[in-house]
Amino acid sequence: MSALGGGSAGGEGINPTASVIALVIVLVSVGIIYALYPAALIPLIGVIIGGVLISFGVHFVPVGGAPAAMGQAPGIATGVAMLAAGGGLAGLFGGAWAAELGIWVALGAGAMGGGLLMAITCLMVNVVYVYAMGIPAASGKIDKDPITGDTFPAYKSQGTEGHGLPFISYVGGVLGGIFGGMGGTLIYLELLSVYEEALPSFLGMTPEGMTTLAVSLAGIFAVGMFLVAAVLTAYNITGTIEGPHDPKFKRWPRAVIGSSAACAACGLVAILLVVI
Amino acid sequence: MEEILFGIGISALAGALATVAGAAEDTESDIGSQGDPNSQVQLAPQMGYIHRIYNKAVSGEPPAYGLWVALAAGIAWALMAIQYNAILALIIGSAVAVFVQGVYATTAYLGRTASLAKFEQPVYIDILKSVTTVTMAHAFVAVFTTVTMCFLIIEALGHPFPLPLMGIVWGIALGAAGSATGNPFYGKERQYQKYAFGAGLPISASGDIVRYAEAGQRSSLDNGWFTSKGAGPASGICFGLIVFFELWRTILFEPFAAGWGAVIAGAVIIIVFMVIDRFVETWARKTYGPYTTETEEEATA
Repeated sequence: MSALGGGSAGGEGINPTASVIALVIVLVSVGIIYALYPAALIPLIGVIIGGVLISFGVHFVPVGGAPAAMGQAPGIATGVAMLAAGGGLAGLFGGAWAAELGIWVALGAGAMGGGLLMAITCLMVNVVYVYAMGIPAASGKIDKDPITGDTFPAYKSQGTEGHGLPFISYVGGVLGGIFGGMGGTLIYLELLSVYEEALPSFLGMTPEGMTTLAVSLAGIFAVGMFLVAAVLTAYNITGTIEGPHDPKFKRWPRAVIGSSAACAACGLVAILLVVI
Repeated sequence: MEEILFGIGISALAGALATVAGAAEDTESDIGSQGDPNSQVQLAPQMGYIHRIYNKAVSGEPPAYGLWVALAAGIAWALMAIQYNAILALIIGSAVAVFVQGVYATTAYLGRTASLAKFEQPVYIDILKSVTTVTMAHAFVAVFTTVTMCFLIIEALGHPFPLPLMGIVWGIALGAAGSATGNPFYGKERQYQKYAFGAGLPISASGDIVRYAEAGQRSSLDNGWFTSKGAGPASGICFGLIVFFELWRTILFEPFAAGWGAVIAGAVIIIVFMVIDRFVETWARKTYGPYTTETEEEATA
């Protein structure tokens, strides 16, 4: 058990009962949409995949919380959900901008938007640690960086669990931003396609007049579902995580199952809003 | 060509506004002790260290800034919809959002500090009066510049999001960048100045924050003075770079390869930042050297 709260052990396995319940929620949501509005079936599946991407991506983001702000643990000195949301929403911004160029370009733009925010933030975190606080990066969870081969124990200050942002954590942060940005953009694009199709007949207005409403609704639901998936994943991580090399990273299947159920239910509500 | 030049000019202006926003946001957060190091301010009285540091951390910085910027953007948007002058609308929206921030700061400080009454931590009315107004002033700068930046992105660059939604997105991103970059400097370098520079803080020292300034007891205004020299500009550069590169790569490279140009440019920029980070990391290892001899690793290698 770590002194900084949260177990340092790996995954605690999958709970079969809970997983079956989650699967039932997903299937029931998909079934309801199939029965009521079959055209939204693919978008709902897209929304669920988006939630899974966000949840998986959050596990990559190195977050040290308050201990990181004191140089007591490696990672970025803020909360898991908050940082992932920042990265993912920057991705959503880029993805929404490129939406008219087709889904694949938009997903790529969203992924790069999230990755870029994380790359710049992670660099500035290391700049502050190195040039303003005089501390080199060192991980407490592993002895060697799997990518660069740097050794850590000799660079770790006494009485801490490491500090700074080792290269493996930096790469993890960028990957987390990429997955988050792509997932948020996917949710936005799928909901937008449903709204653009359903809103004109639902409210009896011209498609041109509906564009702002469709974009706003899709954007708000995408932001909301982003936070649902990210916060749910933060509970799975409990406290701090250093990145893909952290033993807690192995817990991702539980969060992914949970997020798929949560996003299926949220997606169902978001689609039923305009088709009933 | 002129269109691209105009776009790059707007990108630069938005980046400059974002830089000011990031610096003001971090300084506001450090004066109000809202970022992650606040746990140490909350912990100090329990460890027997009574202090005069403000503590308004109830939620994290990103959701709080998401709220304030979205609120300012929403009010400005509504005023513009009834034909108010855009600049006036942005100012009124920001002012109302900052009023909400002031109420939040007051209740958060009173509530948080009152919860420490059993550890004999007093509520200082002079601190409440002097610090709240200073955090509000910094918050106004951060919120106004961010909302103006969002307005520019929509009106001049044609982003499809409406202003309030754009406010949520960039408000949360502003809080995330500021809290990630600025917090370590305030947490370690300011709150624990008596501990050795160039080392992490031992876990056993938690709560032992520095409480005295050059003349008398330190207040949160001293913290703003200190962090505005390091953490504030670093957060500003961080947020400014994010906004600038996000816009710049789209404006300049989206016309190429049916939109893939902007994606490729994004990947290239990420790799460039990765290389710079690796340089910073190896420079630190070479310059500061190992704290202990490396015999342990050599034996296990």
